[in-house]
Amino acid sequence: MEGRPADDPDLITRAQRGDKAAYEEIVQRYQQIAFRTAYVVTGSAADAEDAAQEGFMKAFRALDRFRAGADLRPWLLRIVANEARNRVRSSGRRHQLELRLTEGFRPGDAAPSPEAVAVAADERRRLLETINALSEDDRLVIASRYFLDLSGEETAAALGIPEGTVKSRLSRALARLRARVEEAASA
Amino acid sequence: MPDLEQQLTALAAEIEWPPTPRLHVSMPLPARRPGARRASFWSEGRGWGFPIRLSPRLSRPLAIAAAALVIVAIALAAYPPSRDAIARWVNLHTTIQRVPNPPTPSPLPSGSTGERLHLGSPTTLGAAQQKVTWKIAVPSTLGQPDEVYLKEPPSGPSQDEVALVYTGRAGIPTSRLTGVSVLVMEARGKFDEIFFQKTIGSEGTIEEVNVGGHAGYWITGPPHDFFFTQADGTRYFDTLRLAGNTLIFDDNGTLVRIEGDLTRDQAIQLGASL
Repeated sequence: MEGRPADDPDLITRAQRGDKAAYEEIVQRYQQIAFRTAYVVTGSAADAEDAAQEGFMKAFRALDRFRAGADLRPWLLRIVANEARNRVRSSGRRHQLELRLTEGFRPGDAAPSPEAVAVAADERRRLLETINALSEDDRLVIASRYFLDLSGEETAAALGIPEGTVKSRLSRALARLRARVEEAASA
Repeated sequence: MPDLEQQLTALAAEIEWPPTPRLHVSMPLPARRPGARRASFWSEGRGWGFPIRLSPRLSRPLAIAAAALVIVAIALAAYPPSRDAIARWVNLHTTIQRVPNPPTPSPLPSGSTGERLHLGSPTTLGAAQQKVTWKIAVPSTLGQPDEVYLKEPPSGPSQDEVALVYTGRAGIPTSRLTGVSVLVMEARGKFDEIFFQKTIGSEGTIEEVNVGGHAGYWITGPPHDFFFTQADGTRYFDTLRLAGNTLIFDDNGTLVRIEGDLTRDQAIQLGASL
């Protein structure tokens, strides 16, 4: 997850005053999470790239409406995710999000978390396959919360649903995932 | 075995994401044009034109989009009302100037008007009226629409959108790109003037107008995005489709958009006849 530097408000103020470098810094700071969020929504890297570009452009145009003191990241992600959803709608197609594991990862490589070490490689692969087989709503909410590490507010923005719905949708998605994992384990 | 949520958290570090494209900003100062009122952001001298440019690594979809843009510009240039708009595009996209002999515009793409313009499902005026909560307004000067479409969630606004398509009317050019003369879109919602102005872009103009007693806006310029606040308070994003001039006004809570190669007075007259 990308951090949220303390100088975001300063960058916004400078960008609102016409400081090009400040907006460039905002773009560079959030382009990865914006692109990945759009990728989760569209399931297509090309569409995500376009959505991120357009989203940052629209955010720039609306910058002077940004509420002072608000968190910049959810605001940006909402705009980018809206753009991504609009692209899915206007094209009439949604690529199925197919998440994969990084090749070559081994527990112990790249300083994985203690939890990562504890989960065997084949278990991880099966778990991801199970997630990929879930419904679109379930996949998206799980990917947003756990893989993108979005907050509840950001997940709501990414999925275009009320924040209150995120919790219930995530709970149901986890319950279905858990049931499938247990079903596979007992088979 | 770790808890499921712990496993998911652990998996996050191992997900293979597509490489993040490097976006960077390129913000030339926009050329100011006298006359019509400019979006306030630009008027305050803080605008930079198209603010985002992708890195030189032009992706294939963007290359296709660029080619499509050239074709669109060439085709639209056949229409006198569009030439000013095209000229503005030419200033921004110099590749258009290098086309020596514009070919004959391509025939209409396959598919119905609704499919080409993403208008939703074909229906009739009566059926659409039974579905939506507002009284669908039909411009009396155009008569009955040639086609009617209904766009429902999730692809449409929260309380649906109705599109009235006029494929040909005397005195109004028919777009060879779309086969449509006038498009009337209606949806429940409202626009935020300030936010709305931001979406017009540096090359567009927006002018406040009175449409039969309703507050409205006359918009000119290149194709632009459009978004409004739906009845449920969320924003709905869309693109003005016909790349011509557009009249937008609020008819007692119903947002009406009239798109086409219309003059300002023609559009206001149409709007007032609803």
